[in-house]
Amino acid sequence: MMLLPLLPLTLAEKLANQLLHADPASSARLQALRGKRLRLTLRELPQPLTLTVVDDGVVFAVHDDNDVDCHIQTALAVLPELRDSANITRLIKADALDIEGDPMLAQRFSALFRDLDIDWQATLASRIGELPAYWLIKRWRQSRRWLTRRMAEQRDWLRDTVVEEKQLLVSAVEFAVFSDDLQALRARLDRLQRRLDSLPAEG
Amino acid sequence: MTDSQSERTDFGYQKVDKSAKAGMVAQVFNSVAAKYDIMNDLMSLGIHRLWKRYTLDCSGVRPGMRVLDIAGGTGDLTEQFAKRVGAQGEVVLADINDAMLSVGREKLRNRGVVGNVSYVQADAEQLPFADDSFDVITIAFGLRNVTDKNRALRSMLRVLKPGGRLLVLEFSKPVQPLLNQVYDFYSFNLLPKMGQLVAGDADSYQYLAESIRMHPDQETLKGMMVDAGFDNVDYHNLTGGIVALHRGYKF
Repeated sequence: MMLLPLLPLTLAEKLANQLLHADPASSARLQALRGKRLRLTLRELPQPLTLTVVDDGVVFAVHDDNDVDCHIQTALAVLPELRDSANITRLIKADALDIEGDPMLAQRFSALFRDLDIDWQATLASRIGELPAYWLIKRWRQSRRWLTRRMAEQRDWLRDTVVEEKQLLVSAVEFAVFSDDLQALRARLDRLQRRLDSLPAEG
Repeated sequence: MTDSQSERTDFGYQKVDKSAKAGMVAQVFNSVAAKYDIMNDLMSLGIHRLWKRYTLDCSGVRPGMRVLDIAGGTGDLTEQFAKRVGAQGEVVLADINDAMLSVGREKLRNRGVVGNVSYVQADAEQLPFADDSFDVITIAFGLRNVTDKNRALRSMLRVLKPGGRLLVLEFSKPVQPLLNQVYDFYSFNLLPKMGQLVAGDADSYQYLAESIRMHPDQETLKGMMVDAGFDNVDYHNLTGGIVALHRGYKF
């Protein structure tokens, strides 16, 4: 059982390093983090994942119990929220996150991948040749445009059906009006409460 | 296991003079060196890569460290260590067998692993390095071929830095009796035939199966490491105990 997680881990490591190598700017980012180690303990995973930055990439490990520079314990769903450092204190208070060590390190690790700027056409061209790469990228862009358009159409259709035709949900404007009314009602209630509080108690 | 009274030791299931074992092991590896990698993949169905990966994970190697890969053979571990220690670190690939060392050196150079790897033909029993010189020492599938294992372990302890660790990856004893039977059948019936077919050498693979059976089991090897002076010695069984990774520290 101890060996099973090593297969996906090796594949993930390979993919991560190929992505990093596809962007020439990664080298400087890696250099700045060389030797740093981050451990992620996710509730959804049976074992903690340890990432180490080495000269030309990152190394993933699941059976590593050695010291790290930063240890994050959280749930998978919380990870995207960590991109904004303003959320960290709130998450810690809500017991959704526990950080030991340098909290900025996690953001610098994620920036390794977030800041990737990969010239996909050039990367593909070096593997499959100029022409197939050009054709593939062109088809990819066309399909993405088609998909975005189709999704927008579907969204419009769904909105029309649910809001206008079947009237299952309120429209955004109606919801805003309702929210404003509710706000006004709450203010009136508060005022009423204050007046009640200021009345002398009956003997 | 060494029979100290008669100065004889085991070579597979045979008893041979202690002085003769190194030469006989050398013959085995001279014969299999060229097909070593492909046979490893075939014999273990590729699982040896996961055993080695597990060893790497447990090694705690970081950039800048000095690593000694004893009996490093064709350099599987050395290649990964070299990547992890980076330009400021160093990996020494040591093997007693020149043929294996040559195959390893050529393979690593072809893969562009240069700069932080050096190659030394060395006997594990008398390592030619200064005291306290390595952060991590590994010996993967090598200890069972060493004539005097206790002497080799003491030699490793000597060259290890205080705080450093030794990792011994070696065939061991399967925990489940059923697995043991299947494994025995595989080792003594299929393995020599595969050796004959692929490497043209059944005897060497017969020796491999026998030497595995003669190698100390998990607890015995742990005791030997403790006796040699290692601290916090523990081990983990892999693939049901077919292989075990022993770990010991020098404090």
